[in-house]
Amino acid sequence: MGACDCAGCQDALLALWIDKMGETGPVAILEVKGLSKYFGGLAALKDVHLTVREGEIRGIIGPNGAGKTTLFNVISGMYRPSAGEIFYAGRRIDGLPANKIAALGLVRTFQRTALYHEFTVLRNVTVARHLHVRESLFQVIAGNLKQKERENTEKALEIIEFMGLKHLVDEVAVNLPHGYQRALGVAIALACEPKVLLLDEPLTGMTPTEKGHMIDLIRKVHGKDITILIVEHDMRSVMELCEYISVLDFGTLLVEGPPAEIQNNEDVIRAYLGTEDILTVGQS
Amino acid sequence: MSLHSGKRLKGWALVPLAGGILGLCVLPFFVRAYLIEVVMMYFIYIILAQSYRLIVTVHDWQLYHVVLYGVGAYTSGMLAKSAGVPVFFAIPLGGLMAALVGVAITTPLLRTKGWGFYIATYGLAELIRLSWLKFRNPFGGSTGIIDIPWPPVVAGIDFSEGVPYYFFSLGVMLLVLYFLYRIEKSHLGDSFKAISMDPDLAASTGIHIPRHRLMACAIGGFFAGIAGGLLVHRLGAVDPKLFNLVTMLYLLIWVVVGGTKTFWGPIIGVSVMHTLFELSRPLIQVRPLFFGLSMTLVLIFMPGGIEGVLLKVVARWQKRNRLPTAET
Amino acid sequence: MSSQLFIQTVANAIAASGMLALIAVGLTLAFGVMQMANLAHGHFFMAGAYTVYALYALAGWPFWWAVAAAVAVGALLGLIVERGVFRPLQGDVVSGFIATAGLMFVFEVLVGEIWGWGLSRPIPSPYMRAFRFMGAAVAFQRVLVIPFAVVSIGGLMVFMRRFRLGRALRAVAQDPEAAALQGININRMTALALAIAGAYAGLAGGLMSTIYAVTPSLGGHIILPALIVVVVGGMGSIEGVTLAALIFGFVMTFVTTLVDGVTAVMVSVTVMALVLAIRPQGLMGRVVA
Repeated sequence: MGACDCAGCQDALLALWIDKMGETGPVAILEVKGLSKYFGGLAALKDVHLTVREGEIRGIIGPNGAGKTTLFNVISGMYRPSAGEIFYAGRRIDGLPANKIAALGLVRTFQRTALYHEFTVLRNVTVARHLHVRESLFQVIAGNLKQKERENTEKALEIIEFMGLKHLVDEVAVNLPHGYQRALGVAIALACEPKVLLLDEPLTGMTPTEKGHMIDLIRKVHGKDITILIVEHDMRSVMELCEYISVLDFGTLLVEGPPAEIQNNEDVIRAYLGTEDILTVGQS
Repeated sequence: MSLHSGKRLKGWALVPLAGGILGLCVLPFFVRAYLIEVVMMYFIYIILAQSYRLIVTVHDWQLYHVVLYGVGAYTSGMLAKSAGVPVFFAIPLGGLMAALVGVAITTPLLRTKGWGFYIATYGLAELIRLSWLKFRNPFGGSTGIIDIPWPPVVAGIDFSEGVPYYFFSLGVMLLVLYFLYRIEKSHLGDSFKAISMDPDLAASTGIHIPRHRLMACAIGGFFAGIAGGLLVHRLGAVDPKLFNLVTMLYLLIWVVVGGTKTFWGPIIGVSVMHTLFELSRPLIQVRPLFFGLSMTLVLIFMPGGIEGVLLKVVARWQKRNRLPTAET
Repeated sequence: MSSQLFIQTVANAIAASGMLALIAVGLTLAFGVMQMANLAHGHFFMAGAYTVYALYALAGWPFWWAVAAAVAVGALLGLIVERGVFRPLQGDVVSGFIATAGLMFVFEVLVGEIWGWGLSRPIPSPYMRAFRFMGAAVAFQRVLVIPFAVVSIGGLMVFMRRFRLGRALRAVAQDPEAAALQGININRMTALALAIAGAYAGLAGGLMSTIYAVTPSLGGHIILPALIVVVVGGMGSIEGVTLAALIFGFVMTFVTTLVDGVTAVMVSVTVMALVLAIRPQGLMGRVVA
């Protein structure tokens, strides 16, 4: 965001940004309408509405247990919503299985460090290029796959280099330092060639240096015309990264707005009050 | 190059492999006829164990694999005997039938998780096996089917003889191993392993898990059926007792004791455990005790099996020689 | 089917249900607490039967003392398996399952080597009397298991609800991590569950030993029906398993009487497959998110 953090400047910037979007028309790439998810009798999400425009970096924040990860799980098809609709690029996707949603270009990462621990970095990425490797069983058993495999490996190496993992290509994933493991998690998602990327707490457990590095990487990914939704606890980084933020609390959407507005919003402060101070979260 | 990397065997690593195959080719000319029959069983069991491992790579430790082996045996035997299908055609048809049956009994269980899945596979296996027992016509009941045709004479070679059938089954085994090895080293093989390592991540990268599980089940079932066909046309007879839970337990023992992480684990498992099995013939009554205990103890104290121990030795050797660490 | 045969079959079916419930309840309890399954559970049943055979038929103990010993032997085996197999393999479902499959061989050979491989001599029934009901005679010995099953399973349900230890068991079954945080000793709970499982299977084996042909392969025969009952009832649900035991007790007994034993197993497996295709978690199982 701009050099000045005062509300006035932020508003002006936002107005400018909305204007700019107006020229091409703000296209909603992801729309969530009246989404609810119940576990037993407990509501993890209640009537959530969310509109994400193409090319945005959207932050989703909220206290622990606010339903952020559940929201990602429902959007990415891991859970079926109890009520509501989800539209992606104009197409209704709620109820579709996770692999189908990934195939449409909506790909998520995981809060836990999800990777194939026993594979090398390279193999982690090549296997994730599943959607773009077309081999028939006959080809696998009797055909010549050299050409396809070479192409796949080249593409994977490109992604690995992009994510700054080139020097670790042949290292087994489980042996990587935590920061690189997280980067590999994003590389796996990128291997699916997403249009929208859902990042679930990409900065978890990182040192400040690793965080800075990851933030740069996320910006780089965004620079490839990938729309990004990010759930993150580290408030500073979210404010730094995102143009627009949605706040969840107790499964409902509390408020939305640009970072400066969120920081000063009474409801948001109240939601975090007693648990954590919004500006110090993530520094601990 | 280590045995368990994503890379294919190349260069010098092929030498012991070629040596082994050559050894198997000259073996029948130096040993008694009885031993030829014994070695043939290794070939059949290696196909069975290796096809089971493919299914295990998607983490479906189903308990119907020896029944699919039986489906192959019954189908091939009955086609050759009653329908007059030539033996060399009946065997792949038996494989096809086994694949079909495998898919048919796995499909309703796809949503059943964990333990329920294993139990249900055992139950359905018994359903099929008991139907061979129950329906005397056409399966022959507890005495099974006898007088199953031997393989014919082709180009002057009589395949009902021990040595030609030995080479036939050796050839089939090598071909099956080659196919399975290609799958192992392909993108498909990696997708299978991805599913067993982290199903949620695999699905989030677009892998259709049910389809892959069924595919593994069909491929594994097909080769198990082939093994059954090889068996039936050597024995000349088949009965339901050959495919009961005891046989399934021995299959588990081979695979668990050998290891499942690499392609070579089940081959090691069959080689070691079946040799011990043959050597312990005089102790026939207490033999299962030893085998059952070996499986339980391996799982508790040596989870990677024999293969796991070998991998550790290789890793240590590589460390000492400052080679890059091995990938598992 | 004559009314006489019908009444006898119903009595047999209830007895079979009671026996199945006694075996399956232990399996499902152990599964609920440790998420691991014991394939050698049928061999606990066999051990109970052989204990009664050895002490009552061979050594001449009073029948009830022998049954009490069968319960103790079952519980002891449960503790041994928990300590020796499940604890070192904690959480690894597949390994636990296969490791206990190995134990099937071990138990079978041990029993066969000690007491002989063929059929044991029939165990004389301590109660020769029979109930007479509408012209049918129902052997007392055959239905002996019913009151025991009702009391034991009812007792277990009360224990799980009303007693601190039982509630701790349930807490572990629902959420092991939360239970551990509350200071519940998980290892002690799995040991308790396995001991109860073994004791109940031993009790069933002891009571039924006078009816069944006691052979080393008895454990292998009984495990499949028990597993079917657990899977259909819903893994970890005592109520569901009791219901399923009742259903399969009747299905298996009636099909066995009308057709034969092989068909009874085939029908049961088919029913199981149908239930699982419609309700993958079983009749009363919880859906795991």
